[in-house]
Amino acid sequence: MKLRGTLILLATTAVLSLAQPVMAETLKFAGTTAALTFDPHSTNDFVTTSIVRQVYESLVELDADMNPIPGLAAKWEPVGESTWRLTLRPNVKFHDGSVMTAEDVAFSVKRQASAALYKTLFGNITDAKVVDGSTVDIISKGADPILPVKLTRLFVMSQKWATDNGVATVPALGTQGTEAFSLRHANGTGPMLLAEQIPGQKTVFKKNDAWWGTFKGNLTDAVYTAINSAPTRVAALLSGEVDMITDLPLQDIPRVEQTPKMSVVDGPQRLFMELEMDGTRDLALATTDKSGQPLKANPFKDVRVRRAIAHGINAQLIVDRIMRGKAKVIGIGSAPGFSGYQADLDQHWKYDVDLSKKLLAEAGYPDGFTTTLNCPLERYVNTDEICKAVSSMLARVGIDVKVNGMVWPEFAKMLTNGPNSSFHLIGAAGNSGDVQDTFVAVMATRDKSRGQQNWAMWTNPQFDAVTDELVKTLDPKRRNELYREGLKIARDNVHAVYLHQPFLTWAMTAAVKIPVRADSTVMLQNVEIKR
Amino acid sequence: MNSSYLIQRLMHAILVVFVVSVIAFLLGSFTGDPVTSVLGVDATPEARAALRMRLGLDDPLLLQYVRYLGRVFTGDFGMSYIAQRPVIDVILERVPATLELAATALVFSLGIGIPLGVIAAVHHRKMWSSALMTISVVGVSLPTFVVGIFLILIFSVTLGWLPSFGRGETVRLGGWETGLLTPSGLRSLLLPGFALAISQVALVARLVRAEMLEVLRAEYIRFARARGIPDNRVNFKHALRNTLIPIITVSGIQLGYLLAFAVVVEQVFQWPGLGTLFLSALTQTDLPVVTAFLMVVACFFVFTNLVVDFLYALADPRLKMGAKA
Repeated sequence: MKLRGTLILLATTAVLSLAQPVMAETLKFAGTTAALTFDPHSTNDFVTTSIVRQVYESLVELDADMNPIPGLAAKWEPVGESTWRLTLRPNVKFHDGSVMTAEDVAFSVKRQASAALYKTLFGNITDAKVVDGSTVDIISKGADPILPVKLTRLFVMSQKWATDNGVATVPALGTQGTEAFSLRHANGTGPMLLAEQIPGQKTVFKKNDAWWGTFKGNLTDAVYTAINSAPTRVAALLSGEVDMITDLPLQDIPRVEQTPKMSVVDGPQRLFMELEMDGTRDLALATTDKSGQPLKANPFKDVRVRRAIAHGINAQLIVDRIMRGKAKVIGIGSAPGFSGYQADLDQHWKYDVDLSKKLLAEAGYPDGFTTTLNCPLERYVNTDEICKAVSSMLARVGIDVKVNGMVWPEFAKMLTNGPNSSFHLIGAAGNSGDVQDTFVAVMATRDKSRGQQNWAMWTNPQFDAVTDELVKTLDPKRRNELYREGLKIARDNVHAVYLHQPFLTWAMTAAVKIPVRADSTVMLQNVEIKR
Repeated sequence: MNSSYLIQRLMHAILVVFVVSVIAFLLGSFTGDPVTSVLGVDATPEARAALRMRLGLDDPLLLQYVRYLGRVFTGDFGMSYIAQRPVIDVILERVPATLELAATALVFSLGIGIPLGVIAAVHHRKMWSSALMTISVVGVSLPTFVVGIFLILIFSVTLGWLPSFGRGETVRLGGWETGLLTPSGLRSLLLPGFALAISQVALVARLVRAEMLEVLRAEYIRFARARGIPDNRVNFKHALRNTLIPIITVSGIQLGYLLAFAVVVEQVFQWPGLGTLFLSALTQTDLPVVTAFLMVVACFFVFTNLVVDFLYALADPRLKMGAKA
């Protein structure tokens, strides 16, 4: 019966679709900021990349659980010490109708690796060589076991198109003259064509019927608009002017959920919040005893003080109250969605005020001390409230915390021109989404090649040894052991007080169905519209 | 017309623009670090150093300033760090949206303020007229963004009559992108225009009322009434006409205020004008755009003030005699 119904339905649909042209289904969606440019290699802006990803595709794709799956490369395997060999997907066409060749891929790898913004991610790539019509070798300086994960951010563009339009090299910032052709025009292989790009305002997409993949959704057009002011963004959704918005403010969730024909979806993202404490200075900045006299040592360097702070903060309460449940408490320096995350190790420190006080007394601070928490405003969700909560929780164990809120440019400047902070809240994301990146960039001792984002200036020889081995190891089993070891060392020595992983919150009308992805990309080819 | 007076005003204007250019140039280095905002916090030290070098950020400030001024004089405002386009393009394409919004707000504030003022003046002895004036003060004291959000809540979310964001459909006329020629463009102007006007309505109303009371006491008005001309005609034709001269002056000055408040209104309604551009440039430490924006606004203010001075000089013979700065 059911089967027969389906068959009849299918037959009618087939007849109908022959009889009339396909209905246009347009998705209007809005986010916080606009796409800055459509040159995938001249931006690493999070939002821009998620918009560009509809038009340009990466060599490796991600599935819904953020695992690497074939993209424009159908296969990849290591060859020798420092080479990855990619086998390309056949019959892929660019939007201008030309076929994607191995030369295009090699060109794109070299073009992106030379871009200033991608030095951290692809700076170790020394060359890309065409082996034959469907094979490309990517050669790096030394081993790069996580290159496939990184390739989820390597976008392929047509060499001929780039050369013909004067953008064979990434338009260099600060060079004089006019805007680059690739700023408003695109020629990728992706499921959507770029119909119009108005920088700083909106982007219009059209479905690419010649796409090699299968569309799971049914949309034919999409319009993305930036609505920076959160109340306005919510209003635009509630009034039906847009079908879907990203970054729904937590306080508006009940309002949207109570509105008929509206839904809120959330999902994990590759980001976790942590409190970082100075691990290097002999005297901590803006930290004194209770009477304002300088301390003899940097309390944060004592692991007992670090543990006292970890046990003195109720992370679950922060998630329940401030994050309204839209976050997950974490206890290691990673979170679901990162490659290499270890679920069984993810146990947060027990909230225990007495233990915290005891540890402080053992460390020689029975009366506690006074310090300053630098707090970035408006970049991550509800940071202001998180910092205030931390301050009042630590007051209970005897540490007086003055919260110093700063707008992001100011906060970022404080970090990159220093770091001039001994205690701060920050979100850690990791560049490619592999735990190795977090180890190398955020936790390893700061030196020329490592610890670029180790703003805590935390340093631990055993941990560095683990990182040294990890970056050279290809064997998945051994890598997993190293991930576990590193995460454990960092947690036992309280590299930072890990708080939570904030969820992405999207809101949409009942007419559309959009699965959430951890990199916050609205995958247009999977959007279903039923009006 | 005394030329020394005008020359003095002109010198004054040039001085103001110069001071603003210095402040605008220095402001950038207080907010954030342009290299960090371009490359992100995870950039390698080498990449950071290379970019600082290329943008000339390591040179002494004075040298950077002189170089900047030299470029500005040739009409080159540089490239935006974030938008990766010439600053002049980025700014010019935003001008129409802001001007249309300010003009709409001006029309609203005069269209509502003048009748209010006239009525309040004519019936100035009645309780409700002073109540009306008191209420109009509330309009001034409400923060603009609150008014904006309220309007969106009522007219977009609840009633669904008017769009909550953007400019709707626009039409290109030469280099000017206008929203005045399409229904959706006009509908999009209503809410932000009104939100921007509301702080000015009270100002206009009070000014009209004061002037009008003055005029109503004049001989010729009494005379007109004595001749039996209907009240309405006296009030709106004879009296209002003489009231309007100072209003026109104030409108010129108001345009400046409207531009300043437009930053807030544009942010609330995601209006693609100079205000949103400026705010996003600030949060992204896009120094060339921030500096150029401040220069443009300063020049605009100085220019309107010059025009007002000039018109005064035409209207007021005393200014022709000796210069009073």
